[in-house]
Amino acid sequence: MLKRIFTYFVAASLLLALHGCSSSKHECRRVAVVISTLNNPWFVLLGESAKARAEELGYEAVIFDSQNNSSKETEHFDNILAAGYAAILFNPTDADGSVVNVRRAKQAGVPVFCMDREINARDVATCQILSDNFSGCVEIGKEFIRTVGREGKYAELLGLVGDNNTWNRSRGFHTVVDCYPGLQLVAQQSADFDRNTAMMVMESILQAHGDIVGVFCGNDAMAMGAYQAILATGKAEQIKVFGFDGEKDVLNAIKEGKIVATGMQSPVLMARTAAEFAHRYLSGDHDFPKKIPIAVHAVTRENIDQYLE
Amino acid sequence: MLSKSIFRIDRSILRPLVALLVMALAMSFLSENFATSDNFFNVMRQVSVNLCISVGMTLVILTGGIDLSVGSILALSGAVAAGLIKTGISCEGVNLYVSFTFFGVVVVALLVGAFLGWFNGLMVTRFKVPPFIATLGMLTIARGMTMLYTNGHPITGLGAQFEYLGTGWFCGVPMPVLVAAVVVVVFALFMRKSPWGRYIYAIGGNERASRLSGISVNRIKLFVYTMAGLLSAVAALIVTARLDSAQPNAGSGYELDSIAAVVIGGTSLNGGKGSIWGTVIGALIIGVLNNGLVLLNVSPFWQQVIKGLVILLAVIMDRMSAKEQA
Repeated sequence: MLKRIFTYFVAASLLLALHGCSSSKHECRRVAVVISTLNNPWFVLLGESAKARAEELGYEAVIFDSQNNSSKETEHFDNILAAGYAAILFNPTDADGSVVNVRRAKQAGVPVFCMDREINARDVATCQILSDNFSGCVEIGKEFIRTVGREGKYAELLGLVGDNNTWNRSRGFHTVVDCYPGLQLVAQQSADFDRNTAMMVMESILQAHGDIVGVFCGNDAMAMGAYQAILATGKAEQIKVFGFDGEKDVLNAIKEGKIVATGMQSPVLMARTAAEFAHRYLSGDHDFPKKIPIAVHAVTRENIDQYLE
Repeated sequence: MLSKSIFRIDRSILRPLVALLVMALAMSFLSENFATSDNFFNVMRQVSVNLCISVGMTLVILTGGIDLSVGSILALSGAVAAGLIKTGISCEGVNLYVSFTFFGVVVVALLVGAFLGWFNGLMVTRFKVPPFIATLGMLTIARGMTMLYTNGHPITGLGAQFEYLGTGWFCGVPMPVLVAAVVVVVFALFMRKSPWGRYIYAIGGNERASRLSGISVNRIKLFVYTMAGLLSAVAALIVTARLDSAQPNAGSGYELDSIAAVVIGGTSLNGGKGSIWGTVIGALIIGVLNNGLVLLNVSPFWQQVIKGLVILLAVIMDRMSAKEQA
């Protein structure tokens, strides 16, 4: 009995799936939004903003989640190209690993617009709309010097060590901070862009280096985790925390004076720009700059009010 | 008399225990910050989450199964707890609003965890899905439901009672550690003193023989998966309280840490052999390693290599001791 119901179920779902494909083949008003991961609110916002803007412009938009996995992403591209989407708004999982996917899309005549993260090839994506992580962290570095001073020990929490942005951010920060020999980096550890990991790593760092005066975190989730650990040891006054991304939690924390500064990225702006470019492309305008950097601003207590609505 | 037999040390956990002591000794020579009372509680607090999960995992592995869904169940129970305490439930159509007290939230979160675990158990017993596959399914189902529930956004700012659970102390012990200790003692007692504890070993040792000798294998399996889910929810409450926030991606990869703790603690992946106390030591070894490597400021690249090597080494030692005894 169960078996028969199961068979019907499978048959029914197959039929539905087939129906979904056939109706779309001749209608090329669909846009695919491929996002590196939906396990992070920042990327969810990026994806949803792109989808929303594309829908405003009259397209049907579907979000694909690559789950931080390049081979998953390749499967998505297979399906997208087979299903005949008109354009791809793309947030790559990997600067090198994603190049081949974008190249295949180009060969199939489907334009790809990269958002936020870069791919290491100049000629395959129609346009790359990128967050300027490096310069953003230069700004954070300056803010660090301004509030922490030119002397003392500090720590750094890196994101995923295999991620381009982790190192872009770290390098940007260090171009400024390394100019001051009085500032001594006593711990540089990875916390995987994750709040809970950051808290645990920070707890351990505080055991070894209770005398640090600042910590730079490669994203806001880690900044919140680090702050939580610092708060528990009663050193919130002594240790200044810096983040990056512009997440809502951290903006509130800056307002309350818990976190000193973060880099405000503009996922909504990047996503909307990508969707609008796709629309322009599909309307016949094929002339785009290869790269458009979107500036990242330092948010501090002084200018926080313009970022909190 | 009773307490003596609960804490009686099995010979099989001697090796992991020695490994733990050697490692702790080495760390305290290498870093002056390791052997401090502050850092002791620090490590214990960090271990408490993995420990709760791993106790449940031990039960499952003892029956010869595996549970890959613990991290996702953790995320969903934590998100539900945070969501309920923050916003409650409101039904707009009938103008009904239900708000939750802290204890109400705890009960619901535990029920969510237990239910998801029970569902795993149902798949394994009623539908004969291999545990690896059944819980792999739940791994993505529960993660997806967490995303649906939270829209991918963290839920933050959970109030004083959660804060106390995460950062408070009770009788000189941090709350997370206390919770984990209660879990360990209850389940150690259960495994040793109750007939069901014995049956769990029996099923892992020889399922067919257990069934023939009248043990209701399915009911016990259903029970162990339910407990694994329940304990993931306990861990979820600790994680959520410690961060004062439920993260949609919380707990991803925790199944691996937990399986590692169980295996390092000398429990056989084939089932039937092992103990809760072994798992406690396994979890401590991982905790000491995580903490010590950061204290020593070892490069994050090397940390991953070292952790993997320690897991392999522990299992090799265990295999060698098993051979000696045979």
